Amino acid sequence: MTPKGVSLNPNSRKTKFARRFIFALSRMRNPIPVSSSIEEEVRTRSHKIKIAAYLSMARAVGSRRAWSRALLFKLRTRARRHNMIIRRRSFRLKKKRIIKNDPQGEPSQTKKLRQLVPGGKTMDMCSLLEETAHYMTCLATQVKVMQTIADHFAK
Amino acid sequence: MNRALPEMLHCLSGPGNGTDITVLERQRTRVKWQHQEQQNYFVGNFQDLVGDGRCGSVLRHVVTHSVKPDPGFEMNSTITRTSSCPHTEAQVAPEAKGKVSEPAEKMSSTVGRESYKKRKADKVQNTKVVAEDDAKDKRSKVCAEEGESKITTEQTRTKNTTTHPNNRETSADTSRENSKASEVQKPDYIHVRARRGQATDSHSLAERVRREKISERMKYLQDLVPGCNKVTGKAGMLDEIINYVQSLQRQVEFLSMKLATVNPRLDFNIEDLFAKEIFPACSANFPTIGSSSEMTNPAYLQINPAQQMVACCGLEMGVNTPDLMALRRTISAPVSLPETYFDASCFTQLQPPSTWDADLQNLFNLDSNQGRSISFPSQPFTGSIEASNLKMET
Repeated sequence: MTPKGVSLNPNSRKTKFARRFIFALSRMRNPIPVSSSIEEEVRTRSHKIKIAAYLSMARAVGSRRAWSRALLFKLRTRARRHNMIIRRRSFRLKKKRIIKNDPQGEPSQTKKLRQLVPGGKTMDMCSLLEETAHYMTCLATQVKVMQTIADHFAK
Repeated sequence: MNRALPEMLHCLSGPGNGTDITVLERQRTRVKWQHQEQQNYFVGNFQDLVGDGRCGSVLRHVVTHSVKPDPGFEMNSTITRTSSCPHTEAQVAPEAKGKVSEPAEKMSSTVGRESYKKRKADKVQNTKVVAEDDAKDKRSKVCAEEGESKITTEQTRTKNTTTHPNNRETSADTSRENSKASEVQKPDYIHVRARRGQATDSHSLAERVRREKISERMKYLQDLVPGCNKVTGKAGMLDEIINYVQSLQRQVEFLSMKLATVNPRLDFNIEDLFAKEIFPACSANFPTIGSSSEMTNPAYLQINPAQQMVACCGLEMGVNTPDLMALRRTISAPVSLPETYFDASCFTQLQPPSTWDADLQNLFNLDSNQGRSISFPSQPFTGSIEASNLKMET
């Protein structure tokens, strides 16, 4: 059943993320086959899985980090907007907020980094780097966990 | 007891005999004197201290184990000009110059700098950063006992700063100004040091602090990103970081696609997953990135009961689903009750109850729905029964 000698830390970020993610995956049951093509179905499902992965990672991290807060906020507003559109079919104009930071740093790379890291648009360079570091570690754990899950099911 | 340090040393040694005092006594007197100076204004004693050449020689003595003639008084002057200390953040402002620090630390304190205080929103961070830098400097210099080169560079720097009495006086003046500025004793002042030959106005100092912070973070990132050792410079590093983050995000997307194409009838055997797949595999694959601390210091639970607890907690939590009731009926009634108690207790031990645990058991129900097999949960159930019996006995 369970191999002996395996240590399990129930409070680590990895276990938290793994559990949340697996739970989210399990919730995605086999939907009623939509009339759309298989490709689209796979695409939508993969999109859902991706969002579930990011969501579970952000939840596992909690509100301690700026990027996790930003990510949770973004996902929630997206979900709300999605629901609103489905229910009321209201058109919402996408407002693009342009926040200019101190342009002293390298413009192109810093901009790119800000786009990559969630919540990076409103951070100064210092905290941006810090958040990037933490975000990178969380992404790495996310990738590894997803990899092992995928391997497990591929067998 | 508000005597100047040289007076105290004189008291120890007797008139005219500076070299007879042991090193230890000198250090002790210096520490005492430093303590005193915390309460007084430094200013009045500064000149006295600067003039005392012997104190500095003592410090060098400690480090190099050799007596040398003396740029020692400059060392001393720099000691007295320490500004930030990792131990006393709260007292940063009132302690204009006299800092509580060990003699070894004093000696290795950064030399030839002037202290400057200013206010910032992220004061604590800054103090910590500056303090960290200082602490690092101190530690590195204390450890390098044989690193005379470092000391000689310090000496040259100190020489440059304080060979001439004019310099000393100007530095004394600025220190006096700074100490006056410190009269406004607010806890959110940060001590920033200006290096020799650099501007000392607040803006450039702030810029320097910012730059140092950024470089520190960049170094940390360099350790994180694999294969980044060869690239130097901020631009290249940022490129590497961006590439790495992009590759990680692409990997997540690819894996989510892969998982989507997997047969959606996911046979979740969480026990197996956790025990076999994720953690041993991950421990093999994971580089020491974020999870190293978690992996190397795990909370060693008893594994089998823990796994079974996890499983049966998932199974036992919600009582409302019919599937679970069906499963429960297979268990003998008297055992089920203690199991719930057992679960409550073990659950609180393991992790805080959260809603997803209730859904974990939905997971098993899902599986049982699809498979209509009791055999799957039977294993954890038997394990849980045993465990619950154990619990009952204890």
